[in-house]
Formats: sequence, structure tokens, C-alpha cells
Amino acid sequence: MNFDQFGMDTVTLAGPLEAKLRAVRDAGFGQIMLWARDIVGHPDGEAAAIAAVRQSGLRVTGLQVLRDFEGLSDHLHAYKVDVAKAMLGMCRAIGCEVLLVCSSSSTHATGDTDALIRDLQKLAMLAVPLGIRVAYEALSWGRHVNELSQAWALVERADRANLGLAIDSFHILAVKTDLDALEDIEPHKVFMTQLSDFMWQDVRSPEERVNTARHFRVFPGEGVHSAQVADLLRRLDALGYRGDYSFEVFNDDYVQLPLATVAERARRSVAWLVSQVPRRGSPLRRAAASANRPRSRPT
Amino acid sequence: MTVREPNPEPRNPLGMNGIEFIEFATSQPQALGSVLQMMGFAPVARHRSREVMLYRQGTMNLITNAHPDALPGISAPTGMPTLSAMALRVRDAGYAWRHAIDLGAWEMPTRASAMELHIPGIRGAGDSLIYFVDRYKDFSIYDVDFIPLQGADRHPPAVAGLHYFGIVQAVSADRSEDWVDFYEHLFGFSVLPEGKYFGILPKGTLLESPCHKFYLQLIEPPPGAEDITWDECLLRVGLGTPDVVAATQALRDRGVVFVDRDPVQPSEKGALTQIYLGTVSFELVVSHLKPAAVS
Repeated sequence: MNFDQFGMDTVTLAGPLEAKLRAVRDAGFGQIMLWARDIVGHPDGEAAAIAAVRQSGLRVTGLQVLRDFEGLSDHLHAYKVDVAKAMLGMCRAIGCEVLLVCSSSSTHATGDTDALIRDLQKLAMLAVPLGIRVAYEALSWGRHVNELSQAWALVERADRANLGLAIDSFHILAVKTDLDALEDIEPHKVFMTQLSDFMWQDVRSPEERVNTARHFRVFPGEGVHSAQVADLLRRLDALGYRGDYSFEVFNDDYVQLPLATVAERARRSVAWLVSQVPRRGSPLRRAAASANRPRSRPT
Repeated sequence: MTVREPNPEPRNPLGMNGIEFIEFATSQPQALGSVLQMMGFAPVARHRSREVMLYRQGTMNLITNAHPDALPGISAPTGMPTLSAMALRVRDAGYAWRHAIDLGAWEMPTRASAMELHIPGIRGAGDSLIYFVDRYKDFSIYDVDFIPLQGADRHPPAVAGLHYFGIVQAVSADRSEDWVDFYEHLFGFSVLPEGKYFGILPKGTLLESPCHKFYLQLIEPPPGAEDITWDECLLRVGLGTPDVVAATQALRDRGVVFVDRDPVQPSEKGALTQIYLGTVSFELVVSHLKPAAVS
């Protein structure tokens, strides 16, 4: 595990896109997670935003976020397909290879597994000619899919090469997901890991989870679930995950602090996280790997 | 009550039946035409409203498109010809198109003018399109949109039995599996077992059409080629022939130059032409396929 695997998310920083790109680059990061509104909300238009991203030299970790896609029917489905196509086009324009999709919280969405799989397969198919991968995430307040294992079950059954998982530590911590669930997941199907913590022990209701998720996240090492975050990282590393880690830290205070100050907190968080994972090849890591339960594969 | 039994789809869900035509886009149609004629294709008809020509050789239809306006999302033709479309013969073009769109293909607009045929298409690799054509038996799409060239043989014979064998597609690194999903689930292509190859360029992933009449070959950038440009696109056409040596000689007699260096020395298995106009090359492959009838 090394610094290059980590990136910041524009949602953590105040100011215009160019200032965010500069702050992240100046802090030594090589990648940044963007939101579609970073592009379309640019005061000089999309083309200026795309140019700024490309000129920054930063790799785009992924584009956030397609919501409430799966499980709809008729005109609602057609509407979301249009939205998805526009976001895939934006991914391509900014040179981003991953579109993040979070599980639907729509009351109009069906929970029928076959329908959800069919929709995810369709989204993956739409992404193929554009060279985009689709990372599906279980929102902890998702209507039918709100646990990592449920998202994995859909991704596994959908069985498309460019469809994988986005793992988000916040949702895992919020619903106290048993991390043994990771053992069933193919590491190459984890397209993205998003990291954050928060400051209270419990978030019981879905409303509380939404509120905490959108306003009170902190960087790993700053919250009260440090042991669990470190455990998550160690397990992912032992599993063989070598992909990106993105700090998805929504925090009302951080968006009123100087950008360099926030970026420095992100740097400190990387240092803390890296110190929590044994270096590859070290006796400690080998012990952790051998302690892994054998992988059970559905037949 | 509607019952959806989880039975598998047929192997050839679209009733695919070979390639109807292959299209090149170029702003230099005459230069490309010279190359095509050297390869044995003869001009047989001109489009009624656009700068589009139909070439033919045996069972193969080939279209050159020099229409200057680009379709939305698609680049306009440039001096360097590109393989811009493949048209697939299917049982019902409307059904095939809807089936593809339902599964996540991108709908592409048509250029058809009044009284011209609307040929439904979807987005393929890079800037290329995939068309669906169902009128190829008792009625030809060219009868509507094309005017035959005066004095031209409408059915020029093939040089040495040449026929469409396959299309080679460049794919980005680690993207072969994505494109396998695309061709497998939209059309019913299947991956040939590893080690089964045709011709003299044994690499990449080979897919067989559900009608067993042509192949697609997916090629990722070679290792250590991080610095070369490798955009996803349709790269070249493979032409089948029962006798590669005779075909190579016949085409050499017409002025075609073949690459004569290892590892692509012409042999009884295959041969590769030089690259013309910066992008155009053809691969000859010894073929067991029976050429489809021309429409």
C-alpha cells in the first residue's frame, strides 16, 4: 500500500474547481474524485471544467454519482437511462474510467432481484463502448440494497466484466457490517474503495445515517471507528485489493477551512492508514493473510 | 398472469446471417477507391443523394462514405480512411435494433433523406457503427438508395474466391472482456477456445458469429507499448480464401504489396497487405467458410 493509491474528493473542499485541483495536487496527491456538478456547474461552462481537469495532471479516480438507477420501469427507467448516458459521456470527456452508482433509495424502485440485475447489466453495456467501468455501491439507506453483501450478490450475478463494487467505509461502519462479508468478494471486482469515519458511535435510523453521511464525516484516523477502518484496510489488502482509495469526506466544517489545511489532514490520514497495514512480504502481513478464512464461492 | 420462465435465449437471437456490407469513411474517396480496386473490388453504384459509393467483389459489398457532415458523437471523415461501420444481416432489423437498445446499446441517428431507407444502427467500437439489415434476399437495400453505374458489371466476380472472413478490432488494455460481453450479449457471438486461430496473426481474442459466417478478433496493445497511440477502433478487414497462395499471387499481379517480413510472411495460412493511405490494410486468411450469397 502506498500514497499513490489515495486521492481526495472535491466534496471535501470549498471553492472553485481550479482551487480544489490545485490544493489536491499541491498536497502531493495524484488523483481526485469528481462530481458531475463540478463539471456542469463551472461558471465558464463544461468545456472550461474539462480543460481544467485535463490540465491539472491529476488522474480522475471516478465520477460521482448516478443515483436511483436500478429497479425502475417504463418512463422512469427511460429517464434514468438518459441521465446515465449523459454521465457516461461526461466520464469520457474528463478521461475518467469509473462511474460511481449508488443503490437506489427510490420508493418507486422494485426489489425484484432479476430486474435489478437486468438494469445493472444494461448500465454496464451502455458503458462498454465508452470505455467506462461501473462501480456499484450499497448505500446504507438504500431501499432494497443497503448492505455490501447484497450489492456483491447483484454484481456477481450480473456477471459483466466492467461492473464491479464500490466499497464505502461509512456505510459499512454505519450499519455495522460484519467484515467477514469481504471474504466472499473477488478483489478484482472491487473497482473503488471510499474511506471516511465519523464522530459518534451509533447512527441508528436511516435519517440519522443520511444526515451524518452528508455533514459529519471525517478522515480516517479522526473518528471513533479507527480500529474498524484499519481492519477494513488490512482485510482488503490481504484479499489482494490493489485499487484506489478515495476519501469521501462530507464535512460542513472542512468546507469553511483553508483548502491547504484540509488537504494536510488528508495527508495525515494517509500516513495513519499506511501505518495500519503491514508492508507486503512482512511476517505480520503473511500471518494476517494466512488467518484469512478460505474463500467460499457460490456454486 | 404473465409467466417468465428463466430459459436461456437461442444461440442466434437475432437470426444473424453474415455481413451485408462494410463501410469506410474518408474524405479522399478516389484514393481509397484505387486501393479497393487493386484489392479486386469494383465500383457498381453511387448513392442517390450523398457522396457514397458501393463497391462489390463476389459476395462482398463495401461502401465508401465521403459525406462531409459528421453524425452527432461521430467524427467527420478525414483523409485517413477509417473502418466506420459493419452491417449485419439479421432476420428482423427492427427487432434486432430494439433488442440491442433494451440491453444497453446506444442508439445512433440515421442520415436517411426522404424516400431513402432508414437502416437502424447502434454505436460500436470507437467512432464506428453497427447496422442491422434484413432486406437481402428478394430485395436489396442498394436498389432503393443507389443508382447503378452505367456499363458496370453489377456482380463482379471475386479474386481467388475472396469473401468476408472477419474484422479485427483494437481494444484498450484489459478491455477484451468488456467487448466480449458486448458482442456475446447483444448479438450471440461466442469466444473460440484459446489456441484456436486463423491466419498468420495469432493473437488477441477470437469471437465467432452465431451464424458461423464470420469472426471478430479483439486485439489489446502489445506489452511494453504504453507510449503508442492505441485508440479503440475497427482496425482491418480479414478476407477469406480457399487458397491464400493463389490469392496472394493474384493480388500481387494487381499491384498489391504484402508485408514480407517475419512474423507475417505470406504463407498458405495467411498474408497481410501493406498499409495504404495511412490506415487501410487487409489480411488474407485461409478459409473454410462458404461465401454468403450476394444481395
